[in-house]
This record gives sequence, structure tokens and C-alpha cells, in this order.
Amino acid sequence: MRPDFYVLSWNDVIISLVFVAISVILIKKWKLGLENTLLIGTLRTFVQLTVMGYVLTWFFDQQHWAFMLGLLLIMILIASYEGTRRQKNEIPHFFSSMLISLLGSAIFILGTILLFILDVKPWYSPYAAIPIGGMIIGNGLNSTSLTANRFVAELKHREKEIETLLSLGASPKQAVFDSMKASMHAALIPNINSLMTVGLVQLPGVMTGQILAGIDPLIAVRYQIMIMYMWFTTATMANMIMLAIVYRQFFTKKQQLRRELLRENFRSASLH
Amino acid sequence: MIVDQIFRFDDVSLQVNGKQLLNALSFTVNKGEFLTVLGASGAGKSSLLRMFNALSSPSNGSIQFRGSPIESDIQSLRQNVGILFQNPVVFQGSIKENLMIAGRWNNSISHLLDHELRSILNQVGLEEFNLGKNAKDLSGGEQQRLALACTLLNHPQVLLLDEPTSNLDSKLARAIMDLVDKLRRELDLTIIVVSHDHLLMREYAQRVILLSNGEIVADGPFKVLDEQGAFKKVGLSGREVSHET
Ligand SMILES: Nc1ncnc2c1ncn2[C@@H]1O[C@H](COP(=O)(O)OP(=O)(O)O)[C@@H](O)[C@H]1O
Ligand SMILES: [Mg+2]
Repeated sequence: MRPDFYVLSWNDVIISLVFVAISVILIKKWKLGLENTLLIGTLRTFVQLTVMGYVLTWFFDQQHWAFMLGLLLIMILIASYEGTRRQKNEIPHFFSSMLISLLGSAIFILGTILLFILDVKPWYSPYAAIPIGGMIIGNGLNSTSLTANRFVAELKHREKEIETLLSLGASPKQAVFDSMKASMHAALIPNINSLMTVGLVQLPGVMTGQILAGIDPLIAVRYQIMIMYMWFTTATMANMIMLAIVYRQFFTKKQQLRRELLRENFRSASLH
Repeated sequence: MIVDQIFRFDDVSLQVNGKQLLNALSFTVNKGEFLTVLGASGAGKSSLLRMFNALSSPSNGSIQFRGSPIESDIQSLRQNVGILFQNPVVFQGSIKENLMIAGRWNNSISHLLDHELRSILNQVGLEEFNLGKNAKDLSGGEQQRLALACTLLNHPQVLLLDEPTSNLDSKLARAIMDLVDKLRRELDLTIIVVSHDHLLMREYAQRVILLSNGEIVADGPFKVLDEQGAFKKVGLSGREVSHET
């Protein structure tokens, strides 16, 4: 009885505008004043994703490794920019730190998946590399930008402890190691929790999409298992690389804590 | 080189955010001295003290420690020059874990036996406490002594203290200063104490550096500074100096 495919036509998509119409009616009834924004958002979703669909179609036709690596690099650059924007405090050279940590973890994890797990041929086939690379980069971005914020919060909280340790003869790394450990814990625990609960409450998006597109749930499950493990490793690697670079920015060459970096949330005004 | 000269400041200045916190300080400190840096709140005393163990560096001028630039070996400098901060922190965990904290990078501390730890507690007057007691349960004054014990485990030659009496009643204030003086004699330490309480300090220190608005306005024994009326000039006269804000 299982259908091979639920193909969504453009007509079907237009019918799904019924959802928007219902929302508009409800919003008007409550006089929330959000109808116009919602209509703009509706339009943008339509245009952005459609354009993206054409771009990807064109892109997937270019069977060349340079295109695949180029697109991944652009995604990493955008992610590093976005991660920098999300920092509540200024961290010197944070853009480069993000770049290196995302690049390092993406190369390792994506390479392993393409070459040894999925055994994709040719290895640069964008059908595998781009969506999986996108998940690695997106997940790495979310995780590292939270961890960096948490790390700075730890440094602020432990400023006096850190200077005490330095005074007892600790190296900068030894003096902030507890802060690094605390932020790694905060980063990894949600990931471990999702390893515990995945599938119990909600099916992950990738799996849902695959099942809707007609793929055997048992195959979809295998993909999802690999993705869960991949996510965890991404978070671990990207955060560790990022922290190993970032902690150094908080010290001078003379092993002094740069307390001025811990003083103000002077960038919070630029965040919405 | 003069053998017993331990610190030498040459024309040391410190600017932070365009603000002049310390201005053209030149002086030397000799081995075994008991020196106090006095001045009103905001005079720059803590900023100066942090330079003795290179927690901060001068914007101009130079500092020498035992005849070589202070930054030539920062880790060994910091082990040689212990500091007790104003309101020192103790770490999460037991008294023993606090004492052993430098054992993470210093093998001579990680190998210490319990009886050696107890003897250091004895030295700072904490002999009544178990090594297993949670350090955060100690009173402020006891935490201060524990922090002092941690620095002593590095066998420093110099001890820096930032307002060690500011949160203590007068009896405990005298007790901690007595302890510092005892340690100086027993361990052959050089002591540099920052304070704004010149009445208490004159019972212990041999020499005063008087700081006002980041400048040295007088440097010498209490007797000489009294004759010059130096304390009055910087607003440290009268008996109630500790009420200065
Ligand atoms: N990081 C800093 N940035 C700007 N001003 C500072 C900084 N640290 C200290 N100050 C200022 O420098 C002056 C001296 O501070 P401090 O050395 O703590 O004085 P004291 O210990 O004598 O009370 C004060 O006016 C203080 O506000
Ligand atoms: Mg002070």
C-alpha cells in the first residue's frame, strides 16, 4: 500500500496558502497588527526557496569538485559571519576562529562520510556533499556560537579565580581550563540528551522528509542514526577547536588576563 | 648589581583607556624589607601591586626582578612573588583541594602528603580544621588564611598583600598582620602591603611609599614622613583613616 512518491505540484503549494489565509483571519480578529508582516514573510519564503531550488538544480548539474568545495566554503564563511554577529561580547579574531573550527570539523566529518560511510561516487557529488555539509556547518555554527558566549560568561564569572591561578604560576590554559570544561559540558549535554530521546517524541526532520519522499523507513532510520552521531562529533570537534583558539585571545603575550575584554556587553545593543 | 635589591622600578607609568593611573614611579625594594604602600582609595595602590607579579605591565618604564627584566620568566616570577588579593577567592571543594590546586602544574605540590598540608595550615593558624572541610564554609578571615597558605606552598620570596585588613575587625586585623610579620621572620620574606590604614601599618612596616593620584609623594620610614607632614598632605591624617572612601 505504500506509495512510491508524494509529488507536490505547484498547485498543491498554492493550496497550502490556505494556512496563511487562516492565520491572517485569526490575526485580524485579535487585532495583532501583524497581517502585513506575515504577508511579506509568506512571499519571501516562496521567493527565496524557489530561487534556491533553481540555484541548487543548476548547481547539482555542475559535476565538478571545485563547485562543491566552493559552495561549502561560502557556507562556512556565511556561518562564521553569523556566528560572530551572535557574540554578546567582542572576542578578538572570532571570525577566523569560527572559520578554522568549522573548516576543520567539516573536512574531517564530511570527508569520513563521503569516502568511507556513504562511499559516494564520485566523492564530490553535490547530492550528498551539500546537504550533509550544510547540516554539519549549521550544527557547528549553532553549537560554537552558544559555547563561545558561555565561555566568555564563565571567564567573567571566574575572573578572580583565573588571576589567582595565574598568580600561583598557572599558564593561561591551566588558568582557564575549568571555564573551558564548563562550556564544553554546556555544549555537549543537549546533544547527549537528544541522543537519548530521538524518535521518542518527534521524528527528526531529515527522516520525516525521506519518509514523505517515499523512502523505506528502515533506510531513513539508518541515515538518521548516522546523522545523530555526526552531529555529536561536530559539536565536540568544532567546540574544542574553537575554544583552543579563543582562550588565547583573552591573554596577552605576557600571560596576563585581558580584563578589559570582560568588562562590557558593549555589543549587546547591536543584537536584536 | 646590588645583591639584595629585589625589585627596581624605573620611571614606571600605567595608562588605561587614556587615563593615567600611575605616573613615573621610580624606587627599589630590598630583600627582607617590610614595605607598605599607603594612599587614599583610588590612589592607584592595587594597580601598582599587580605589577610586582606581572599581572599587569607598565605602559612606560621598566621593572627588574633580581636584576633581570620582570617578564623574562613569568611563571617562575609568579611562584616567587605570591599575592594575597583583597577579598581572596577560595575554590569549590575541600581545604585539601584548595591547597593542592597548584598541583595541577606543579609536581612538588601534587606530591604533598597530608601531614605536610596540615603543617602549612598550622603555619597560618587554621590547625583546627579538617583537610576535608568544604572551603566555602570557612569565614572570610579563614578563607583569607587559606588563600595565604596556598601561596606559601610555592615557597615565595616575596609576599604581596592588597588591603589584607580591610574586611576584618581590629582584633582580626592585628592578628593577620602579626601572622604576616611572623612569616616574614620565619621564611625570610620580603613583604609589600597595600593599605589605607597608616595607624596599623606603622606598627609593622619599616618603610612607606605614599601614593596620591598615581604619583609617589613620599618614600621613607614613618618617622621621616611624619616630620615632613606627608600623611596630612594626602588626606591620611587623624585617627579615622580607615573611614576614607
Ligand atoms: N581597568 C581600569 N580602567 C579604568 N580605570 C581604572 C581601571 N582600574 C582602575 N582604575 C581606576 O584607577 C584608579 C586607581 O585604582 P586602584 O589601583 O584600584 O586604586 P586603589 O587600590 O588605590 O584604591 C581608580 O580611580 C580606578 O577607578
Ligand atoms: Mg585597591
